[in-house]
Amino acid sequence: MTTLLIVLLLIAGAYFVAVLEAWISTGRFQLSAPLLAGIALLGRESNLPRKPDRIFFEVGPVLLLLSGLLAATVIPLTPNLIIADLATGALFINAALVYVLVALLMAGWGPDGAYAMVGGWRFLGQLIAYAMLIVMPITAVAMRAESLLSTQIVISQASLWNIVYQPLGFILFFIASMALAFLPPFDMMIAKGELAGGVEAEYTGIRLAVFRLGRLVLIITLAAATVVFYLGGWQGPWLPPWAWSAIKILAVAATMLLAGRYMPRIREAHLLSWCWILGIPLALINILIVGILVLEFP
Amino acid sequence: MTAQMFFIGFFGLAGVWFGIVVFRTYSMVRSALALLFSQTALGAMFLSMEAEFLGVLQIMMMATEMSIMAIFMVMFMMDPGGLGTMDMTHQKRLSLITGFVSFVAAVLVAVFVDWGPVATSFPDAAQQTVDLGLELLNRSMLIFEMAGVTILTSMIAATAVAIQPVKRKQKQ
Repeated sequence: MTTLLIVLLLIAGAYFVAVLEAWISTGRFQLSAPLLAGIALLGRESNLPRKPDRIFFEVGPVLLLLSGLLAATVIPLTPNLIIADLATGALFINAALVYVLVALLMAGWGPDGAYAMVGGWRFLGQLIAYAMLIVMPITAVAMRAESLLSTQIVISQASLWNIVYQPLGFILFFIASMALAFLPPFDMMIAKGELAGGVEAEYTGIRLAVFRLGRLVLIITLAAATVVFYLGGWQGPWLPPWAWSAIKILAVAATMLLAGRYMPRIREAHLLSWCWILGIPLALINILIVGILVLEFP
Repeated sequence: MTAQMFFIGFFGLAGVWFGIVVFRTYSMVRSALALLFSQTALGAMFLSMEAEFLGVLQIMMMATEMSIMAIFMVMFMMDPGGLGTMDMTHQKRLSLITGFVSFVAAVLVAVFVDWGPVATSFPDAAQQTVDLGLELLNRSMLIFEMAGVTILTSMIAATAVAIQPVKRKQKQ
């Protein structure tokens, strides 16, 4: 029952993200747009490239969707609305989201097309840039909660949200999760103007629909993870917990989409230099500061 | 208990099967990702054995490592797609003998070593994580620090060897 409810909520969230994305990029607010686009995609022929690696080609989009869904299993929307409160929850989110990379590599390599393949390998370069900036801020969050349980992480922020307690970690995690969800300005792997869609280039019809759904679920999952780690999860005055979760998650997703709109695209090689020269030292400083704070003001 | 045994067996067989696939394909990316799924199956075995932290860690680490290995295999192999007719196996007799001997040795170790009594009670997953953390920062700290520094040193050394020396301008 919980599982079904959370999957339905995820799909509703993904739909809302699709509406927001269209609104932000075209300037038109149209509630029916994703539905119509989805029906159009399902109605189209799903072409097969001439010499595909069939297994990779088919598994890629499904694995993308699956990794987003798996990561969502350990995210609490209310104290009780969680599919699996794993003892290694914070680590599990990361483990599930690494398979986004595997999915994009498969989807890039599978169709035997140059653009798709370049897109897939670009994401590998991007992963080497952002991966540490996902893990290290989560480490600092777990240090404060003294637990990897995601519910415990939310409870640890009862007095003060982590966005205030460790703002540096929040900024790094926010940027890294935008890179993980290949949102603009980190969307070189599906760059429309340059690679004709990159990883998406050879997909059509229902396969493309699954791929796009997977990406939307990924965005909403990452927004939810940001809320759990930094914005106090379900906590808030007056409104019931589920309402706070929903409001915060949608606000974070909207901020992610809006922030990307006003940035120039960043090539993965440049992102790599920025992340390793500036990002990782900052993440280490964040861990140090949080360590001192945890010891001094528990 | 039965379900647990079933899943341990299932993921074990899956791990072995993906291990075989590694050598049965000529596509470098398929080979690397088959190795990844073999390792993921091992992680799932850890999960079935209720070693949650180890399982999740294994599943997480291997995805990145094997993907990076895939790009290196694509870069350095002559026919990364495996679409040509080139035979990429070599030293078949030696590998057959080595494989067979190691298999027999592993079976002998598994059967004849006295593994002690089966544990009847064990800490829950959260306690396991706490215990592991204390172990890493207490008794085993020196070992892990040594290993970490050794790996870091070899990484720096390997990079230093790989970089092409920059020719400096001779002063006239």
